[in-house]
Amino acid sequence: MSNQLHTPPTISIRLIRALCRTELVEEIEGNLYEYYWIISEDVNRFGKIRFWIQVLTYLRPSTLKLFKLKNSGSMFIFNPKIAVRSLFKHRVSTSINLLGFVIGLLSTIFIYFYINTELNIDSFHVDKENIYRVIRTSEINGAPYDVGVTSGPYAEALINDYPSSINTTTRAFPQNGLVKIADKKFQENKMIFADRNFFEFFSYPLAEGNPGDVLSLPNSVVISREIATKYFGFKDPIGEIIEVDNEYKFTITGIMDDLPAKSHLDFNMVFSIELFEGFDWFHGWWNNGLVTYINVPNTQQAHYLDTQFPEFMEKYFGDDFEASGTKIGLHVEPLEDIYFNNKTRFDPVVHGDLSSLIILGAVGVIILFIACFNYINLSIAMAFKRAKEVSVRKVLGVEKTRLITQFLGESMMLLLASMLIAIGLSIALKPIFNSVFELDILFNWADQLVIAFMIGLVLVVLVTSGLYPALLMSSFKPVSILKSGKIPLGKNSFIRKGLVVAQFSLSIFLIIATLLIGFQLDYMKSKPLGYNKESLLIIHINNQEIQSNDELFKNDLLRHENITSVTSASGEPGGFHDGTVLQISGVNVNPKVRSSFADTDYLKTLGIPIAAGRDFDRSFANNDSMAMMINEKALAEIGLTAEEVIGRKVTIPGFDIDRRIVGVVKDYHFTALNNEIEPQAIIMGYTHHRRFIVRMNDVDIPNTLRHIEESFNKHSPNFPITYQFHDEGLDQLYADEQKQARVFSSFSGISIFLACMGIFGLAAYAAEQRQKELGIRKILGASVQQVILIISKEFITLVVIAAVIAMPLTWIFMENWLHDFAYRIGLAENWMVFIFGSLVAGIIAFLTIALKTYKTAASNPTDCIRYE
Amino acid sequence: MKGTKIGEFEELTLLAIVILQDDAYIIRIQEELKKQANRSVVMGALHATLSRLEKKGLLESELGGATQERGGRRKRIYKLTAAGKSVLSEIYETRNRMWGQIPDYALKLIHV
Repeated sequence: MSNQLHTPPTISIRLIRALCRTELVEEIEGNLYEYYWIISEDVNRFGKIRFWIQVLTYLRPSTLKLFKLKNSGSMFIFNPKIAVRSLFKHRVSTSINLLGFVIGLLSTIFIYFYINTELNIDSFHVDKENIYRVIRTSEINGAPYDVGVTSGPYAEALINDYPSSINTTTRAFPQNGLVKIADKKFQENKMIFADRNFFEFFSYPLAEGNPGDVLSLPNSVVISREIATKYFGFKDPIGEIIEVDNEYKFTITGIMDDLPAKSHLDFNMVFSIELFEGFDWFHGWWNNGLVTYINVPNTQQAHYLDTQFPEFMEKYFGDDFEASGTKIGLHVEPLEDIYFNNKTRFDPVVHGDLSSLIILGAVGVIILFIACFNYINLSIAMAFKRAKEVSVRKVLGVEKTRLITQFLGESMMLLLASMLIAIGLSIALKPIFNSVFELDILFNWADQLVIAFMIGLVLVVLVTSGLYPALLMSSFKPVSILKSGKIPLGKNSFIRKGLVVAQFSLSIFLIIATLLIGFQLDYMKSKPLGYNKESLLIIHINNQEIQSNDELFKNDLLRHENITSVTSASGEPGGFHDGTVLQISGVNVNPKVRSSFADTDYLKTLGIPIAAGRDFDRSFANNDSMAMMINEKALAEIGLTAEEVIGRKVTIPGFDIDRRIVGVVKDYHFTALNNEIEPQAIIMGYTHHRRFIVRMNDVDIPNTLRHIEESFNKHSPNFPITYQFHDEGLDQLYADEQKQARVFSSFSGISIFLACMGIFGLAAYAAEQRQKELGIRKILGASVQQVILIISKEFITLVVIAAVIAMPLTWIFMENWLHDFAYRIGLAENWMVFIFGSLVAGIIAFLTIALKTYKTAASNPTDCIRYE
Repeated sequence: MKGTKIGEFEELTLLAIVILQDDAYIIRIQEELKKQANRSVVMGALHATLSRLEKKGLLESELGGATQERGGRRKRIYKLTAAGKSVLSEIYETRNRMWGQIPDYALKLIHV
């Protein structure tokens, strides 16, 4: 019989040899050979497993080698006992390093999961490669932009015209409304109305119900678990009736499961879109509001569709294009691009910001590097303390490679400990982190990449921070060290200083960037917007009742002494502004403008000044029902003077009645300050209104609010009121920037803290090294302050160099960052910030050093120079 | 004898060794325990027991008898020491004595 067949796996034998006591190895190996021989004869297919069970269970205290930390010298490749001793001996630097690594790794772990969460958005859809969204393209004064919403007829027309390029389509129509179930009534803002194949098209999981038929009835609705609990508690909601806007009844046919990852569509109730099929406007090509998705057989077909769309649009919009002299285009956007394409306008889906993501990632890496630099620096400092130990070992014949392994091993031990602490902390701190940075990080430990990432992270940090000190220490020349007791300082002090400079450059960069981002935010918040943004209340016109009673409601509001003015409009500044085209009689150019539909009190309520002509006039409201105003930007676009333009007739596509320009208003900021002021038309009209804008006096606001609520309830008894203070709403426009500011300030704090810990350790080391020198200086008459200065000087020089490097780099970075803002602070006039940021870093560094060296400086000089 | 209280599994192991005599090495002991007492035990665990018994002075062992199946490695043959033998016989006697004192009618009940 062949020996090969009966030889157990080499690895098992190696394992035994490596781990079991030498005197037992022969016997154990023999036993395993025999056992293996027995099971090879056996037909039992679990033989292999049984064999491995035998192997592994052999590894137990009674057979294992003694791994008690022994100090039996240089014979071991890595000696843990010496490592532990040295780590404990240099407690200060060990804790600094540990803390640094923990903070650095913690930041990296969070950022990894954050990026992972963001990149995995919509990753759970089975057919995700083939799903595209149909978006419209338009342009305003030469600047093209995408529009996220389309109208009802697109889906059907597309699949009819391109049956071989499109498999299926589906539509989702985001809405909000008042939901009533039994005795519970809430305003819901995450409703969507969707085609019946919605749950087959996408892979949103269902806990109850069948994806194929859950929306097949015209009055069916699928709700999320959260909604189910909110309205029904523990009761089974299937078959229950939901009433929407006190009018439409739906039956619950399914329950959604929790999503496996985040999705660009944020909804908690899915209704059948059949309801809208009954309305004429739903079949109009111009009534945009829903999102159209298509499923294509392959990518080529998607590209093919893009080439066919001009023809498609011509077919359905040809006449309108001709009449209005403008065109809109169409193209498809892959599902995976939707989330990060946050430039799309009028988009009801959720977007993420790729640049925040990149900034966050970069800041995390900076922190990790600062921690690594601390480690390198402190290890180099410690290296000189350990020079004798190293020399003695070398004299005893320890090879260089073994010393390197030993020192790398020490780094590894520290690093692994930090990693475990960081992982523990990351789990514990996740909720805090999520709420502070307003993020929604999911931890997905099951992902195999996580383990690879963690291992990779440890290895990268090990190599970055452990390799240089290990090489340095192992290269000491024992003879000179043992003979003279001195360590050759030399080129490595350059590296040490370089690292301190790098750390402080990064910290100064973060401090200055934090300050400037804060300044920019303040600037945007306090910039005069061209109207009075204070004390405005925005009330949503979210139902039919209030819409039909709007005049009565308005009059009721005005009855209150603290309400000075009320207007209803299509959108408040910072809110929704549709786009349209003006055809002005006798003018060749057809300017594209943002439109606001408003009543006569719009300018008065917002406090927008008139540049020329007049405001809408309530007293001759009959004539003014076809009046409109334009802003100065639109006037410039038309190219006439205000006098020439006033009185001209204007045709607006989609409206039967021609308008007349009665006035020109001064430009005011009706969108966020990231954008320039665009041409605008304020059009008189009572339809299309979405908001009441109320100007109040600043006295007794609770009382005023109560009056507003009472009036609302009087005119809209079946719907609750939704309102918001205007300045709060404006702040929300800058949520992304505020988030970035928060990230920067937290991380710049952490980075300066870490950098100072590093310099703290170095200063301690320097003070100790120069103890004798300082003692002699004191005897010769130096004061404590002078002694502190002597040590600080060296470090402060480094901080100054760091500032010189950091300032121009920060300048370049901030120029880039501010580039996105149409209205921004200038860097030149804020030069003080650069100096201030550097000073802060310098002062903190000085205080750290002074604190540490004071003890040495204040000690009795005889103590340190008496003994030789 | 002091310090010679042994557990049931230890007792079975000692018995197996006595039964196997010159063939008493770990694989055989393992088989014997399985066959006679239906005890499945991995070699590692058995090794721990054997070492413990050796430490108590009830067993002694020596290496010997390399075979082809063992890849030319010797086996450790276990043998009872005098102390081991006396512990076993003491246990045997104690049990016998106690069994003998069980009244007949009670004995019937046990054997049912």
